[in-house]
Amino acid sequence: MTTKSLTFPQAFPRPKSSSGIWSWLGTVDHKRIGTMYGIVSFIWFIVGGIEAMLMRLQLSSAENDLIGPEAYNQLFTMHGTTMVFLVIMPLSAAFFNWLIPLQIGARDVAFPRLNALSFWIFLFGGLIINASWITGNAPNGGWFGYAPNSGATFNPGMGMTYWVVGLNVLGVASIAAGLNFIVTILNMRAPGMSMFKVPIFTWMTLITSVLIVLAMPILAVAGIMLMTDRVYGTHFFNSLGGGDPVMWQHIFWLFGHPEVYILILPAMGIVSEVLPTFARKPLFGYPFVVFAGAAIAFMGWFVWSHHMFTVGLGPAANTAFSISTMLIAVPTGVKIFNWLGTLWGGNIRLNTPMLFSISFIAMFTIGGLSGVIHASPPTDAQQQDTYFVVAHFHYVLVGGALLGIFSGIYFWWPKFTGYFLNEKLGIANWALMLIGFNLQFAPMHWLGMDGMPRRIYTYAENMGWESSNLASTIGGFILALGILVFIINVFYSKMNKVIAGNDPWDGRTLEWATSSPPPVHDFDEIPQVQYRDDFWFKKYPETISEYYHDEHDLVPKGALLDDETEEASPVVSGGAEGHGDDHGHSAIHLPDMSYYPFILSFGVAIIGAGFLTNTYVIGAGVPFLLWGLFGWSMEPVNDPE
Amino acid sequence: MTVASVNSECYAFQAFKVTSPILVVGDVFMTNINYPFLAGTYSSQMHRVSKLSFPLRPALFLLVPMAIALLAACTPENNQSTFGTAGPIAEDQADLFKFIFWIAAIVFILVEGAVIFIAIKFRRRSDSDKLPYQTHGNTRLEITWTVIPIFILAIIAVPTLTQIWEQQNLVPQDQGQVLNIEAIGHQWWFEFRYPDHEVVTSNELHIPVNRPVAFKLDSQDVIHSFWVPKIAGKVDMVPLNDNYMWMIGDEVGTYYGQCAEFCGIAHAHMRFRVIVDTEEDFQAWVAGMHTAPNAPVAGSPEASGKNLFAANCSSCHTNDSTSPGSYAREISSQQARWNGWISDIENSGIVSAPNLTNFGQHSTIGAGLKDLNKETLEQWITDPSSIKIGTRMQKHAAVYDTSDGAVKLSPTEVSDIATFLLSLKPGSAPAGSVVEASGDVDGAEVFATNCASCHSTGDNTVVGPGLAGIGDRAGTLVDGLSADEYIEQSIREPGAFIVDGFPAVMPGWSHLGDDSIDALVTYLKTLK
Repeated sequence: MTTKSLTFPQAFPRPKSSSGIWSWLGTVDHKRIGTMYGIVSFIWFIVGGIEAMLMRLQLSSAENDLIGPEAYNQLFTMHGTTMVFLVIMPLSAAFFNWLIPLQIGARDVAFPRLNALSFWIFLFGGLIINASWITGNAPNGGWFGYAPNSGATFNPGMGMTYWVVGLNVLGVASIAAGLNFIVTILNMRAPGMSMFKVPIFTWMTLITSVLIVLAMPILAVAGIMLMTDRVYGTHFFNSLGGGDPVMWQHIFWLFGHPEVYILILPAMGIVSEVLPTFARKPLFGYPFVVFAGAAIAFMGWFVWSHHMFTVGLGPAANTAFSISTMLIAVPTGVKIFNWLGTLWGGNIRLNTPMLFSISFIAMFTIGGLSGVIHASPPTDAQQQDTYFVVAHFHYVLVGGALLGIFSGIYFWWPKFTGYFLNEKLGIANWALMLIGFNLQFAPMHWLGMDGMPRRIYTYAENMGWESSNLASTIGGFILALGILVFIINVFYSKMNKVIAGNDPWDGRTLEWATSSPPPVHDFDEIPQVQYRDDFWFKKYPETISEYYHDEHDLVPKGALLDDETEEASPVVSGGAEGHGDDHGHSAIHLPDMSYYPFILSFGVAIIGAGFLTNTYVIGAGVPFLLWGLFGWSMEPVNDPE
Repeated sequence: MTVASVNSECYAFQAFKVTSPILVVGDVFMTNINYPFLAGTYSSQMHRVSKLSFPLRPALFLLVPMAIALLAACTPENNQSTFGTAGPIAEDQADLFKFIFWIAAIVFILVEGAVIFIAIKFRRRSDSDKLPYQTHGNTRLEITWTVIPIFILAIIAVPTLTQIWEQQNLVPQDQGQVLNIEAIGHQWWFEFRYPDHEVVTSNELHIPVNRPVAFKLDSQDVIHSFWVPKIAGKVDMVPLNDNYMWMIGDEVGTYYGQCAEFCGIAHAHMRFRVIVDTEEDFQAWVAGMHTAPNAPVAGSPEASGKNLFAANCSSCHTNDSTSPGSYAREISSQQARWNGWISDIENSGIVSAPNLTNFGQHSTIGAGLKDLNKETLEQWITDPSSIKIGTRMQKHAAVYDTSDGAVKLSPTEVSDIATFLLSLKPGSAPAGSVVEASGDVDGAEVFATNCASCHSTGDNTVVGPGLAGIGDRAGTLVDGLSADEYIEQSIREPGAFIVDGFPAVMPGWSHLGDDSIDALVTYLKTLK
């Protein structure tokens, strides 16, 4: 145990309060951190949505001059950046935070303070990028930041510097969170929960976290190179100095394509939890779904050049990447068929989470099929950089990831809060989103095939693009109305609480075993796990033989027999920092709160701001960074009583 | 709350309750669903699930006609439709698209059909709380639906790979004589060079019908993409990385093209036209590009416009690339203009600019933005940003006020320049006859044609230094070089001695020929 002599002198007393603003600044509770992730990323979601609506207004008619080209370029750059890095990723992180410890029967993540650090850095990274709106220098080089258009020569303003600094700061948060969840899932599962008894959402989180840890450093490298090109005049990507702009594309998409799976796999995990619950059947072919997820994540590393079919890599490279891209459709298809197999023969309840999840299958399939079309480089030569591609990835990321996330919100809201979201408003929310989404993005397929390029702020009257664009704009506003209904639903449901109870949906996994909302220590008693869907099979033991009768290869023989044989080992949060029952007052041991993650992340934010202002500001951030680091490392998990 | 009361307040959408076969689909969701395992407080809310029909009815009511309208909106006649093909590459690409599309459509119908069918067939009925059989899966079935997609993808891969190697490999040599073109992307216009014919033009590309055209694609600044949807899919124009593509236009006509890679503020306005000519028309066009316009009549607006153009526009825009040697000269001048801009992005007096030779033959202005006529041309000259935001001309050309961008020309002067530019069409002199007669060269004329756009004969700086008194200075600048030698070397190899304070942007002018350079040197020494 840490001794008192090592403690770092504290400027503030260690936070103790469990309410008020200071309790949030010092929290290390995965549930509170998850809530903060959810709220902050939802605010960015609204910001990104407003950006999208402004673009749709601009494009609703030909030769429109509502928004000029500079503002339009800023809007699409920030819309993409916001939705990818500040919305879908952190909304997924909100679910990771809330659910992973609950699903694996743990009391917190492996490194609770690191978890807090991830959140605070994410918060500051988002603020840095969006501060560019206030200073009038929003990034305008696209979320893909293609060199040399993103370099200082052709983009002399501060915008792309904000972008690259912000992304580098956000990357730190993602990598830390990814490591945290890998360690948590590998090390902190409840006794008896072997990897093949882990809930499917936890599996997808593990796979996503591995991707994050491997992919985000690539973006960090690319970002640092671009930043030195911009700030210090290096020539990594600057063709004028002999740098290679195509190298940027390779590095960016080597990150960027795994990033797509970072965005979609958590939603696939959510859907894989919702479908079995509302069909009242186990996930069909659990090992196939797990392996398909892992295969997608692995193959995702070998397809990046399909973003570059028109860059001129030559027929050999295009052949190879075309084949690898088509192959990735195979595990994706497996998932879709297994979800249908899950529904088949079920007793399907069409509640809001289920409606979102079924819509996910329907919409994601469309995005997958259009993906196969432009996996073929000859047809992609016509579709690359057109609205066809815009339609494709919105079917994947809105029709897929976002619908999945909404499914998860409606599904786990009772667990998070203790009460339901209103079902009537929920269905209105779902219907408006689904209708608006299709009306907004289906016409973009036609626009693309009609030759409308992406990222143009206006188009001529004689191109025949007006009616489709108008339909798309109307659809966008219907979608936005759906989101508004969701916000109304949140407040309405809070004011008219319908208490949910611990297990409102007849759930299958461990999070439904504890109270709603869960206590700060998650479980009064750490569950002993015997089966996949352990909670379900303990509710309905008569169905165990239906599931397990012929799993010779996939489930260890002992799975049915090992009850009472495993010793209940004490499972403690706080990772490797110690076992909890030293104090005697309680077997439940949680780490104390800490300000240091906040202070450390504040230092990182100031250093980031220094790259945007001047070097002295970097110096001003260093003391905070060191204060946070040393304070943290000297701080015991728990103050001595 | 009872089911009936929920029904009676069935929202504003009741107006949409129109009897229609498509609405039957909505009705299948109307089944009342109960959740007996939930306590009483929640059950009333559960009934509301049954009201699924309320958004579905208007949805289907709106979506179906909308979908039909959208399908109808997808017409091959549209200017950039990838279905209205006018060349074998675009046609192959469209055919491949349709082939994969129909396979995808079958999968789409099967999967979406299965989703809807399963959701309806296996939905919970009334009070049934029966637990389904808790199956773990079916390995044989799962292997089947893993393997079948592999076969489907193999079917897609065969034509895909065939086409990759047809389209992205070598230009076919057996389909007529290959025409070589170098297409260069600039922010935000296209330059087209015909090395076989020594022709340079901009934004309107002429190609002969049914002949393979081999493109070398390059960019001077950022990445652009060269795309003529009806003739061939796009290939990017990458600085320092030449790309190659080929295409054949098999139908005479004018086709739309557009930059497809985001390239900055005027990306939306970076368009061009491809004019597919008959072989005769194409040869006539090439010959015309080597034929100087008729000289304007003295005192005419064209004559006034010609002088105004020479004084205000010609440091960036070449308008007379008809004579022998002008092709090489334009290439080096374009490079020099680029060097000038890149060396001083804020204050450069020169920028890369389209070659305006035979501009009167063009049909559009501003890189395919507007139809070319006197009105649009005057608007363009007066205030380019009103047509195309981001145009560098207005910022860098001395003829525009640096503070507010207003043109420093009277409306009459603008009109004269427009008239002059519109008059730039091949004249009556036969092609190739405009050759400088040797032995009798007027240095003043050589200077006016080739040098005056950057150098004044006085003391003032235009782009390069003023040349008054150069004859006196020249002999003193470099030890061992006489005035004649210094001036001649400065013309032939400007990089040899750069005057302090000026960017090294001047191209070499050896291509003028010895006689012209001698005459020029003699002329320059007379400047006082």
